[in-house]
Amino acid sequence: MEGPASYVAAWLAPYVGAALVLLLHPVKGRVKGLAGVLSIFTAAIYSTLIALKTLTHGEILEHSFTWVPSLNVTIGYYADTLSTIMALVVSWLSFLIAVYSLEYMGGDPGQTRYWFFFSFFVGSMQLLVLSDNLIAMFIGWEGTGLASYALIGHWFTDEEERCVGDPGRKALGISMCFPPSHAGLRALVFTRLGDVGLLIGTAAIHYLLGTTSFHAMVAHPEVWAGGLYTRGILAAFLAFFILGAMAKSAQFPFHEWLVTAMTGPTSVSALIHAATMVKAGVYFLLRFTPIFVVASHVVRDTMGIAAYNTFIHFFGWVALIGGFTAFMMATMAIVARELKLVLAFSTASQLGYMFLGIAAGGMMGEGPLAVFAGLSHLVSHAVFKAALFLIAGAVIHAVHSRFMDDMGGLAKYMKWSAISMLLAGLSLSGIPPFAGFWSKDTILDVAHEAGATIPWLLGVITALLTAAYTFRMIIMVFYYKPSHRVQEHAEHLHEAHPLMLLPYLTLALLSLIIGLAWPWIQDRLETLIPGATLAMHGEALHISMSLSLTSISVALALTGLGIAVYLYQAKLMRPYDYVVKSPSLTWLHKFLYDRWYLNSIYYWIFVKGGRALADVTYKYVNNALVDSFYHRFMPWFFMSSARGLYATAEKAIDVGFHVKLVNGTLSVSRRVRRLQTGVLNHYVLTMWLGLVVLLLIVIWYVGWII
Amino acid sequence: MNEIILGNPALLSTVVVPVAVAIASWLMRDKVSPEIHATINAGALGYSLLVFLILAYKYGLGSVIRDPEVWTVPTLGNFAFIMDAVAFPVLISIAAVTAFTAVYSVPYMRHRIEEMHEKGEKPPSWGSYFFLYTLFAAAMIGTLLSTNTIEFYLFLELTLIPSFLLIAFYGYGDRVRIAILYLLWTHVGAVLFLLGALAVGFKAGFDFFNPFTGKMLLGLADAALSGALLKTALILMVVGLLVKMAVFGVHIWLPYAHAEAPTPISALLSPNLIGIGGAMLIRIVYTLFPSTFASAAPYLIGWALLTMIYGGFMALVQTDFKRLLAYSSVSQMGYLLLGLSTITAYGMSGAILHYLVHAFGKAILFLTAGTLIATLHGLRAIPKMGGLATKMPFTAALGLLGFMFITGIPPTPGLWSEYLIVRGAVQYGMDHGAAAFVTIGVFLMIGIGLSTAYAFLTMKRAFYGPLPKHLEDAHEASPGLLVPMAVLAAIGVVAFFVVYTMLDPMLAYFHTVYGI
Repeated sequence: MEGPASYVAAWLAPYVGAALVLLLHPVKGRVKGLAGVLSIFTAAIYSTLIALKTLTHGEILEHSFTWVPSLNVTIGYYADTLSTIMALVVSWLSFLIAVYSLEYMGGDPGQTRYWFFFSFFVGSMQLLVLSDNLIAMFIGWEGTGLASYALIGHWFTDEEERCVGDPGRKALGISMCFPPSHAGLRALVFTRLGDVGLLIGTAAIHYLLGTTSFHAMVAHPEVWAGGLYTRGILAAFLAFFILGAMAKSAQFPFHEWLVTAMTGPTSVSALIHAATMVKAGVYFLLRFTPIFVVASHVVRDTMGIAAYNTFIHFFGWVALIGGFTAFMMATMAIVARELKLVLAFSTASQLGYMFLGIAAGGMMGEGPLAVFAGLSHLVSHAVFKAALFLIAGAVIHAVHSRFMDDMGGLAKYMKWSAISMLLAGLSLSGIPPFAGFWSKDTILDVAHEAGATIPWLLGVITALLTAAYTFRMIIMVFYYKPSHRVQEHAEHLHEAHPLMLLPYLTLALLSLIIGLAWPWIQDRLETLIPGATLAMHGEALHISMSLSLTSISVALALTGLGIAVYLYQAKLMRPYDYVVKSPSLTWLHKFLYDRWYLNSIYYWIFVKGGRALADVTYKYVNNALVDSFYHRFMPWFFMSSARGLYATAEKAIDVGFHVKLVNGTLSVSRRVRRLQTGVLNHYVLTMWLGLVVLLLIVIWYVGWII
Repeated sequence: MNEIILGNPALLSTVVVPVAVAIASWLMRDKVSPEIHATINAGALGYSLLVFLILAYKYGLGSVIRDPEVWTVPTLGNFAFIMDAVAFPVLISIAAVTAFTAVYSVPYMRHRIEEMHEKGEKPPSWGSYFFLYTLFAAAMIGTLLSTNTIEFYLFLELTLIPSFLLIAFYGYGDRVRIAILYLLWTHVGAVLFLLGALAVGFKAGFDFFNPFTGKMLLGLADAALSGALLKTALILMVVGLLVKMAVFGVHIWLPYAHAEAPTPISALLSPNLIGIGGAMLIRIVYTLFPSTFASAAPYLIGWALLTMIYGGFMALVQTDFKRLLAYSSVSQMGYLLLGLSTITAYGMSGAILHYLVHAFGKAILFLTAGTLIATLHGLRAIPKMGGLATKMPFTAALGLLGFMFITGIPPTPGLWSEYLIVRGAVQYGMDHGAAAFVTIGVFLMIGIGLSTAYAFLTMKRAFYGPLPKHLEDAHEASPGLLVPMAVLAAIGVVAFFVVYTMLDPMLAYFHTVYGI
């Protein structure tokens, strides 16, 4: 259905806000922050207006303007169930976090930069989710990447307290401490590597369809999927196309950038690196999985089972990557010492769950199921993880340390923060009836049903690890015996400012409310997703959770939770003290703490290796070979040839002419001497003119004979 | 494609007016202030910019716009002046970059001239600087307006002399030697091109555009020549222009010349002049040899990918800011060459659009380097920089924008040109089998990844991190340096939004004129 043009404000307003922030640069105080907050609030209102039409009536609302006719690029909004929910989540979370930032970043000198990129980010993210073609989506996509880069490196002067990792620590000879400017660079390079893959996929679609519109992809799968398959590049296309999503959503092997992205202000980590931007890859999968499912059915009917299997294998790989990422990152979270790092590992791990859920739905050929599983967890995770990060920000602010060893016993001073973290943490751990429980269990259910055994198993183990690291974190921050730092600063510790507390308290409560209302929400989604989403057939979903599977995962989660509570709270133990006594456990701890050594391996291969290769090439190919050939050998060659010639032929001529014809040439040379002015430009001008004349003579002469 | 014949020689005036002003500048020498020199010269180049914009606005880019006069020279054919959808983006890039860099020149060259005086050197007058500067700019404009290979060659040689002298008079380091090196190299390139052009010209004439019918002379050389002569002529013309572009193997002159030229001249040389090689590969060589050129495409694509990656690698290890930018230009020429070698409308449009992107982006970057040199007492060693964004936030922001242009991050038009080049390369790959598709894809990832890496690594090394002790009294650059850069950046950003005004006619042009 055609919607009002004004609803583009859902993404346009924050961009306008960003421009306003720039114009307000000279103004002091919170004005810039307010401009940003208001523009984001406008976007949230418009997203709500869209949702009121789409989600309540089960309709798809769209409006588009032609931007670049020759590339069929349109810009506007396309609001089906998926993008409406995304826009709602993104804009309202952004609003809450923007409000939090007003206080959290209140004293920061880089106000203009912060609010410009914050608003720019929200606009880009909204554009990304509301676009109906790949190129417009890509523009939003790159915009979020730019904002992420700038905000990760917000504190670009690289003071040690802004870094991520332990100062001085090395793994395989590579420093494991990352300053903000370095982290920003990592984020941009990692994600853009994937983006090139996305761009290649986009170009392939455009070549085959003449447009990158999602509608055209749904309408003509035989053209693009068939065209790719007959060229023998369907699998390669899928591999390139997904890279952007994998990099953006920090899936193995691109996960490293997200870990160090924690150098950004915590509000930014909450918004960009937990709740929204890193979900762009998940959104991408949510958007394209149904299209791929439709295409897989069409190519099965027209090209045979092998074409169909290409898609199924693709989903199988994605499920495996998702499950593996979920597991790998959870193992790192369990040993992390920095509060934000626990949350970062956890985010990548939960994104892995989402990948797993969506891909499993794809393996079953069920677009609606894939979207339901992925979207549910995306939303519930966005809510509880944003809350957790915001709380982390408040806590780090309070104790002035990012290490959990410097915390402990904070519940006494920050009661509401502790309650909020408990609520959000229960949701992350997947304890019923919190939102996280429902959505995670759906994913594990779908994975099991799709027969993705290994990814499912990894997901189940992750459920235990998740509850364990979550409660380890909660206890170490709020309940464990107070650290020295807490004891010393006891008189300064107090609850966070209401502008900070209210946003995360709201979100924490929301994760409980969503959980309580889940049966009703699920009921709505079961009709809305198949009924009013791109590339769906309308038949309502019927999701029933398997009781036995659910009890397994809940039991595992409770076990994990129990272990953490037992060790850290009941026994007040520091397991690390025991770990160091055993060499193999020490090794394991190091392995996990140093992120499976993957960071170091990347640095050895790509950074150090690339650098060495570049150095060697520069020294030996560029300078020793190419430069010397042209600028040493060639001049030497010509000079020595000339000298030889001079010594032989020229001398003879010289003698001949200058002895015999010396008198004759004397008068000529006098005249010629006047031309020798000794000014460089005269010589060059003469040379040039001479050349032109010579050229004209040659052309004239040769032209005549031809 | 229909031809619109103007009532007056507006296009010729875009060359003649700057040349006239240049001569006036020369005659005035130091009798007027540098500001007045800059104003009239920038004004003349701004006039050219306006003429291009007004003509495009008035007549649209759906047709060829031609001056009324055609000079018919026996044997050499017709010398006319035209502007069409392909020439337009290049022309406005040259005019805009040269006009605003002329303004930037005043504070920068004042610093440079003072520095030279301190060393006891006696640089020529401001009049000479602006004379050579504007002559250089006008000649570049002339190359793109040409309809005839000899006409083009003359303008190309005319760019060479002033740029050579500017390096020799005002450059850094061993400037006279480097100027001669530059002269020799680009002259050799031009002569190679000329030899190829002569081979074609004597058989089929020197025109590549017929001003009387308004048509590009598509396939002229393909039809007129054959066998070894056809191949040799093509190779000579291509290699001649590739020397200009400084692609891998014949790139070695560029880092010297562009790093040691006075920085405003680097900002003209690096993006504008070398890119002309790419534009002319399409406009002359591809027009004359469409099918022979197409058969050379696989080699050129390989060469282009190699240049992209090699240039990026070399940029990664540079410690001199300007030398880094010079190697970046080598890499960027790889992008241009890749786009046009795909022989697709998208790739070719991408190459032309990337000319514009690189013109603005690299100009901004060279001017950023220049701003650091002029403000921080000649500082250009990247290892000695760091943390400058605290002291010079605007310079840092402009530098970031410059790098965003060349890495294709919105809101810069680099996003479009990068997409179009990838689009062309992917089409080529898909038409040549799975292996070609995958190979091109992987190399694109490496190439673009490297560009991102060196670009943002340089941002980090120069502008972020702790401020070193010796830079503690650094301060923001003067508006005289920053404003021209900001205007260039702003024009570039506008181009991102209105890219369709250039892209739509350009794609249509390649579809209708070349049938690709």
